[in-house]
Amino acid sequence: MQIYLPIAELSVNAFVILGMGGAVGFLSGMFGVGGGFLMTPLLIFSGIPSSVAVATEANQIVASSVSGAVAQWQRNNVDIKLGTVLLVGGIVGATFGVQIVKVLRELGQVDLIIALSYVTFLGTIGTLMLIESLNAIRKSRAGEPVAARKSGQHNWIHGLPFKMRFKRSKLYISAIPPLLLGAFVGLLAAIMGVGGGFVMVPAMIYLLRVPTNVVVGTSLFQIVFVTAVTTILHATQNQTVDAVLAMMLMVGGVIGAQFGVRVGQRLRGEQLRALLAILVLGVCARLAYNLVAMPGELYSIGPAFGGH
Amino acid sequence: MIAALSFALSSLAFAQDSRESVEADVSTRRIAIESDFSGVRILLFGAVENSTQTAPEDGLYDLAIVIEGPREELIVRRKSKVAGIWVNTEANPYKAVPSYYAIISTRPVHEIARTQLLKWLGIGFDQIKLLAVGKFEDGEEKNFRESIIRIKETQGLYRKAEHGVAFIGSSLFRATIDLPANVSVGEFSARVHLFRDGAYLNSYNTQLNLQREGFERLVYTFAFEYPFFYGVAAVILAVLAGLAATAIFKRD
Repeated sequence: MQIYLPIAELSVNAFVILGMGGAVGFLSGMFGVGGGFLMTPLLIFSGIPSSVAVATEANQIVASSVSGAVAQWQRNNVDIKLGTVLLVGGIVGATFGVQIVKVLRELGQVDLIIALSYVTFLGTIGTLMLIESLNAIRKSRAGEPVAARKSGQHNWIHGLPFKMRFKRSKLYISAIPPLLLGAFVGLLAAIMGVGGGFVMVPAMIYLLRVPTNVVVGTSLFQIVFVTAVTTILHATQNQTVDAVLAMMLMVGGVIGAQFGVRVGQRLRGEQLRALLAILVLGVCARLAYNLVAMPGELYSIGPAFGGH
Repeated sequence: MIAALSFALSSLAFAQDSRESVEADVSTRRIAIESDFSGVRILLFGAVENSTQTAPEDGLYDLAIVIEGPREELIVRRKSKVAGIWVNTEANPYKAVPSYYAIISTRPVHEIARTQLLKWLGIGFDQIKLLAVGKFEDGEEKNFRESIIRIKETQGLYRKAEHGVAFIGSSLFRATIDLPANVSVGEFSARVHLFRDGAYLNSYNTQLNLQREGFERLVYTFAFEYPFFYGVAAVILAVLAGLAATAIFKRD
């Protein structure tokens, strides 16, 4: 069944889109990740213009993060004060990011920058994750205990000015690191169409030293608001949010996630992370290949901006 | 003297009256893009007045129909290799480029009439007026122009149907116009040109209009005319969808 996407301005097969949403939803449920970093490249590979893929995916992430955030909140796993500081930074970062995308579209370089950002981001995270998970697998096979991280220990980052008390996380730290972290994640959300949990969760654990049980919930809290703001900004500044596409992805995504969670419960943490790392590196390689391989057609045509 | 003159005039008038002319129309003048728009096929039909052919297979007359879609401004970019990566390095804007251009004819157009005549009538991909804004380096203008035509052909927006018009009777003919799903909305013109033995006889122009209707129009208008509210609506929908999903799968 063909559906015409009003913003992407092309006809797609509805079942293919639902399937894509379902597949990525399945993976996100299995690995416990947002999935934006997989979905956006997948949309781009399917012929959706990069800027529409990024903005539409931000919209879908709102839906997929809301249920997780609410669930965590009901279990009192959200540090609202910290989350608010993070999201203030996030909104600033997202605003910058959307403007950057707007300028890049006018220069005709938006596809390039989005692809380069993804290659860098996925390459780094994928490699780090692969190393970490292979080590963990090796250690668990050798029977070595995995060292527990201690939360609550302070480092130099905590000593920066503008200290605030975050009761739920039992932290008394400078507000600057969470603001900067939030801003960076907001920038990523706007340019790459990702939730940013990938960066946020490790940064909260290792840099901010937030207790593990509060990390996921607070991160989801921030992601919901920042992707919501990103969606509104992209819609207003660039008119690149395709709500019809987003809805189809959401439906596929939530269904897929349910199955993914069930399958994920049967695999061990390290194994899942290793698999995810391989998938991430695979997508990275495909994007990198597209950048360096000689394209079939050197010319491209696009609408003229500003003369609407 | 007067009699001779009037006889000459009336025979001229008689000759004019019996000269062939062409008329045409389309099956749908107003086409709507709806949610399941995957392209549309329109029938163009017409007749040759004062036709002297006795059977449709005679092939006495030739028709060349040119369909042009609304004009748009676009930018053509070219990639070159920079530090190992393919990057858009050149850009040239163009004004008034037809978003759709189709030539539908009874035979390949270069068999119907001489190049000069086709040129005069504006029939052919090389006759499409592409107005470049700005300067080009030597030889590059031709490459850029050709790239527009080539890309549009790949997208199915510039097309030829070299046996796309057929006579059904001695004067009645029909042709099908295929508009793909990615076509732009607006006014389309259809110019029907009649030939006999390589000589141009007559033309007829008709229009059709393509618009977004229904849900498509609603979403499109909403997104471009009230972008902030559209964004907020998209977010609200997403939140509701997320909460609904939790409620439905609550057994966990």
